[in-house]
Amino acid sequence: MGKEKKHKRDKDLSSRRRSRSRSRSRSEEYKEKKRSKKNREKDRERKHRRRSSDREKSYHSDSSDVVEVPIIPDPPVISSSFRNEPTPSKTSKQRKKSLSPIPADGAGDVLSIEETNKLRAKLGLKPLEVGSSEVPQSSSSGSKKEEEKDKDGNSQELKKIKDDWGEFYHKPAGQFNEKTEVELLREKIQSKREKRKIEDKLARIKTLGESDSDDDANAWVDKSRKIEEEKKKAQLRAKMLQEMDENLDNVTTTHARRPARPQKSSQLSKDQGYGSKDLQGLKVAHDIDSFKEERQVILTLEDKDVLDEDGDTLMNVNMKDDERYKKNVEVKKQNPQHYGYDVYEDQYDEFGNFIGRGILSKYDEEIDGSKKPTFTIGESKDLIQEQQRKALEVKAKLENKRLETLNLDPLKIASDCFTEEELTKFKKPKKKVKKIRQKLKADDLLEIAGDSSSNKDLGSRKRKDDDELKKVVLNIDDLPELPEDTSNIKIEPEDDELEHILSKARRLKQKEIIKKELPVDNIKTEVKMETEDSEGEAEIRANNFITLNQTAEFCRTLGDIPTYGMAGNRDENTDMMDLEDEVEEQEPSMDKRGKWNTVDPNEEPKLAEGVPIVEPEDVAILDEEPDIGAGVANALKLAMSKGYLEKEETNRPSNSRFAHLQAQHYSIDDKAHGEDDKYGRRGGGGGGYNGPLSEFREKAGYKPNVKLEYIDDNNMKLTPKEAFRYLSHKFHGKGPGKNKIEKRLKKLEQEGLMKKMSSSDTPLNTLTMLQQKQKETQSPFIVLSGNKSSQSTMLGKNKR
Amino acid sequence: MLEITCNDRLGKKVRVKCNPDDTIGDLKKLIAAQTGTRYDKIVLKKWYTIYKDNIRLSDYEIHDGMNLEMYYQ
Repeated sequence: MGKEKKHKRDKDLSSRRRSRSRSRSRSEEYKEKKRSKKNREKDRERKHRRRSSDREKSYHSDSSDVVEVPIIPDPPVISSSFRNEPTPSKTSKQRKKSLSPIPADGAGDVLSIEETNKLRAKLGLKPLEVGSSEVPQSSSSGSKKEEEKDKDGNSQELKKIKDDWGEFYHKPAGQFNEKTEVELLREKIQSKREKRKIEDKLARIKTLGESDSDDDANAWVDKSRKIEEEKKKAQLRAKMLQEMDENLDNVTTTHARRPARPQKSSQLSKDQGYGSKDLQGLKVAHDIDSFKEERQVILTLEDKDVLDEDGDTLMNVNMKDDERYKKNVEVKKQNPQHYGYDVYEDQYDEFGNFIGRGILSKYDEEIDGSKKPTFTIGESKDLIQEQQRKALEVKAKLENKRLETLNLDPLKIASDCFTEEELTKFKKPKKKVKKIRQKLKADDLLEIAGDSSSNKDLGSRKRKDDDELKKVVLNIDDLPELPEDTSNIKIEPEDDELEHILSKARRLKQKEIIKKELPVDNIKTEVKMETEDSEGEAEIRANNFITLNQTAEFCRTLGDIPTYGMAGNRDENTDMMDLEDEVEEQEPSMDKRGKWNTVDPNEEPKLAEGVPIVEPEDVAILDEEPDIGAGVANALKLAMSKGYLEKEETNRPSNSRFAHLQAQHYSIDDKAHGEDDKYGRRGGGGGGYNGPLSEFREKAGYKPNVKLEYIDDNNMKLTPKEAFRYLSHKFHGKGPGKNKIEKRLKKLEQEGLMKKMSSSDTPLNTLTMLQQKQKETQSPFIVLSGNKSSQSTMLGKNKR
Repeated sequence: MLEITCNDRLGKKVRVKCNPDDTIGDLKKLIAAQTGTRYDKIVLKKWYTIYKDNIRLSDYEIHDGMNLEMYYQ
């Protein structure tokens, strides 16, 4: 390909030359032709050389993956270098002589193998491995083929690739078939060798057929006879043994059934059928519960060691599989992350009882071997079940459960009368002996004190006789006072109830009477009713004169006043309207809060000596409203109480400007101290100055109300911004400019005017002036005019 | 036998025949013989790997026809 291209190129060149020459004179043209002819000849020579060099290239190249082919064409330097190339082929010797291997400029390329070998010998290296030189030879033949192909004009097999380091060809992949064939052969040989070895080994060993020594019939017959004799002997011996066994059995008269041996059973089967009797004493390797009733399960003898002395066990393969499956499921259920000893993990059996466990009990099964539930057929099932039931009962007892049998007692005809048995069982229900909580009162304490130390007179309450007091208490309160010896007196709750109700009724009557007597207006009553008032009481309520004014209602909605009754000046036992507390004799006063309070208006005020006890009904929740109609003072009071007017208690920011208005004795402590200090200093150091002597005391509740205000020279308030400006002016000693000052003054003036300005008039009072004018002129209008002439015209218009 | 092309891009380009079990040092000596520069001044490189003198060509996996860059110390 490349060569063809080169051809074309040359032709092009020559044609160009020709074309150029056309422009010239004919004589010149002629010369040119001659030149071109010469050129052609040169070209031919070149081609020949190139071809030979190509041969060299391909010769070298084929042993490698990549073959370097120097770029052949235009740059003449490289082409010259080609000429210098020595060829390692047959022609190399001729070339070598003509061309030095290392040119002066160092651009020389290749040394032949012989030359390199010589060089290597000089350097102390081993000669080149020309063992692989076979390959280049073969490749050289390949290159010849390529050349032939070139001649044919076929496309080259090798692809030319251009690179930074020149053009090169990719070597096609080597033939793997040959390699694989060789390898296959080797493998075959190897395998055959191994086979032979194995056969040799086997040849030494005698086979079963060969090992038999009894080739002849006589020997075989002898052998078989011997075997038969031995068999007979063995049978005899077995019989003997059996007889002995039976004898032994008879002698010892065993009531215990020995586990049936298979031998024995097989014999028995000959004599009689193998019945359920024979099965007795056999162990079954399954839980008895796993056998469902009325289902056939075929059990087989379990595989066992020959030397094992234990009796035979029966098992079912399917059941065994089931068990294994169950166990696997259990194992799977276990949390794989839980291993080790967990202290807090509690285990309970199916009845909820705690199972105590040893440490790492989970490995018990693996160490000791799993315990499998078994049973022996001989033992009656009922017995086992009985045992189980007993165990269950024990468990239930432990757990405080009652087991109910499903077998109910036979049904009976119901009768109203007791049977004798029932009568014996029957008991009158015991009456509850009410325990009466004794409320510890101050009086009781006094009594005790009185008992211990001879009776003393202490105060007004003591003056009442004990008996009297008791009576009073019994009457008024629902509390039956505990007598000194409770053993003698039996209090029955029914009676107590009765008394309670009676006393209540009595009190209600009293109340009615008093109500009539008392002027209703004076008393502010709050009667709070229980929701579960009885009907009678409701009637009573209707009869009562209860005034409900707005404030009272309001207070009711507010609920109870928390402080009400806390002072202890109210009788605690006044909840007379309760019907609830029949059983609980005295409700503790705890319930009082948050409930409706009942106030007994009729209750007699207890008066201590000299000390006026404030009657509860007199203490209104709200103060009495002063009559507004009476006077201004009253109105003011009312306003104050309602909160319309504010009392001047609140702290106002202390302002120095109003200092003279403030109370003269009022002073903030710190301030006063500071002032004192000052005076002390002025007075010559003595005085009130006690600096280091007095400790600094933190004032606990001291929270001064400070308000910073800045005032300028004209006593005008300053905004923070202005204050800053003022300060900065002072600090820098440089006031604001004249214009600024004027502006500020103007602003102030305007502000003043704005403040003075009435809201209904303009700042220049034009409205008032207008009104005055209108009054003067007595007309609803006013003439606006700049000068008199226009005024006249206006007048004229008015006239019209 | 390998043939390696060594090129410093300053005008020296040499093709050297050598054994795969030659060391880089040997190769350098061969190059030195061909080019005339001292072998200890030659640095052989492929991209950024500088070949060390005491290591064999086969260990560097230098194959036939490979180009090595030649630099001078």
